[in-house]
Amino acid sequence: MLNTRILTLCAWSGPATVLIALGGWLIAGVLPLPLGASSSVDQVVNFYSHDTRVLAGLVISSVGICLVFPLTALIGVFMVRMEGRTPVLTFLQLVSGAAANLMLFLPMLLMAFVAFRPDRNPELTVTLNDLAWLLFLTPIAPIMIQEIAIGVAILNDKRQTLPRWVAYVNFGVAFSFVPDPLAFFFHSGPFAWNGIFIFWLATTTYAIWLLVMGLILRNAMQDLADADGPSVATTAA
Amino acid sequence: MTHARDRMDLDLPDFLSDGEGIDDLSRTQSRRPAKVVDGHIPSELGLWIFILWDMTLFALIMLVFLWERRSDRATFTESAHQLIQPIGVVNTLALLLSSYLVARALLAHRVGRHLQARRLVLGAIGCAAVFAGLKAIEYSSEISGGHTPASGMFFRFYFILTGLHLLHVIIGTVLLTAWQVTLQRRRPWAGTQKLAEGIASYWHMVDLLWVAIFALVYLVSAE
Repeated sequence: MLNTRILTLCAWSGPATVLIALGGWLIAGVLPLPLGASSSVDQVVNFYSHDTRVLAGLVISSVGICLVFPLTALIGVFMVRMEGRTPVLTFLQLVSGAAANLMLFLPMLLMAFVAFRPDRNPELTVTLNDLAWLLFLTPIAPIMIQEIAIGVAILNDKRQTLPRWVAYVNFGVAFSFVPDPLAFFFHSGPFAWNGIFIFWLATTTYAIWLLVMGLILRNAMQDLADADGPSVATTAA
Repeated sequence: MTHARDRMDLDLPDFLSDGEGIDDLSRTQSRRPAKVVDGHIPSELGLWIFILWDMTLFALIMLVFLWERRSDRATFTESAHQLIQPIGVVNTLALLLSSYLVARALLAHRVGRHLQARRLVLGAIGCAAVFAGLKAIEYSSEISGGHTPASGMFFRFYFILTGLHLLHVIIGTVLLTAWQVTLQRRRPWAGTQKLAEGIASYWHMVDLLWVAIFALVYLVSAE
């Protein structure tokens, strides 16, 4: 059945986001060690001077990050089933998820924009680099609202469409973003944007979130297909 | 007492999933009918994983705090003396008292004494309000005294740790209020057990975190 196939693709787009986005960052040189708030002007300019490689990596990771959109839609499909007649949390998840995904996508474009003209005034390059990184890591409210909405919907769901621990994973990931605005106040150390409590913590927990949500929805989909009766299963096969 | 026993029998399915007949026997012999049976996880496992994760993050920040303190002990000691210790002590007592009230409220809720439980939860919310009020006074006096997050490592960590904790107090107060609402609606224990136990566990975590922060930031650093 075509519908199941599309849903499965949406579920796999979660893990795919992690792979493609991280792969793109590796090519661009964002990983293994990203630029920091304390990086010198030379280091920043030097990073963007490898413009072809940086641009290629950033284009790949910006495509990868946008694969969160199908996953967000699939989460919405399951939340409608959980919520029933007034799916307000579903809508909240969709709008806040769209905003959150956009806030992750835009900084990739901004970094590509910096690499577009690497011979400009170095100070401008540093400013634009700051802008891209702070825009990437500090706007945490949309993503936290999205995850809290998912968690509350799961806990309120009497039918247990998704396991209840998934709700707590969502709360835990949301909590891990709380230190991120501290990146405004620190230029070095663990609370600077490239510190363990900001970039590394947020990237790790968000990757875990993408993997957990993708895989758990794929499993839940198979349960639903089984529950809907053998007709669906046979058509799918 | 017999009345309470009848109520407990209504709740049996929830407990039976853990240990069956043996629990029933132990409960009839116990003076307190609602004693938690062995192997019962308050609320649910997922919540405990979340609580552990939450405390791990705090522990990591505390480790970094101690690491920074090693390199500049004199400034940390001097800064710690700028904190208003009496406020910290009163806040610790307020949270310990609130934890006690929450534990009592849980027992009262379990045996169906909704009014008593409501009063106890209200008391805990009151303690949280006292805590937040004193914290606000402390923050304003420190900031007006020139001790902002920008004035050195110690105060950065002080504001990060206590600010994150204050966020937990606020979330905990919202949760306690939600519990209060379910008590007002006199929902039976069976349907609210996970919620009530979860909120109580979360609140105990808030208390525990504060005790650790108080010991570390107010006492150890001042040594």
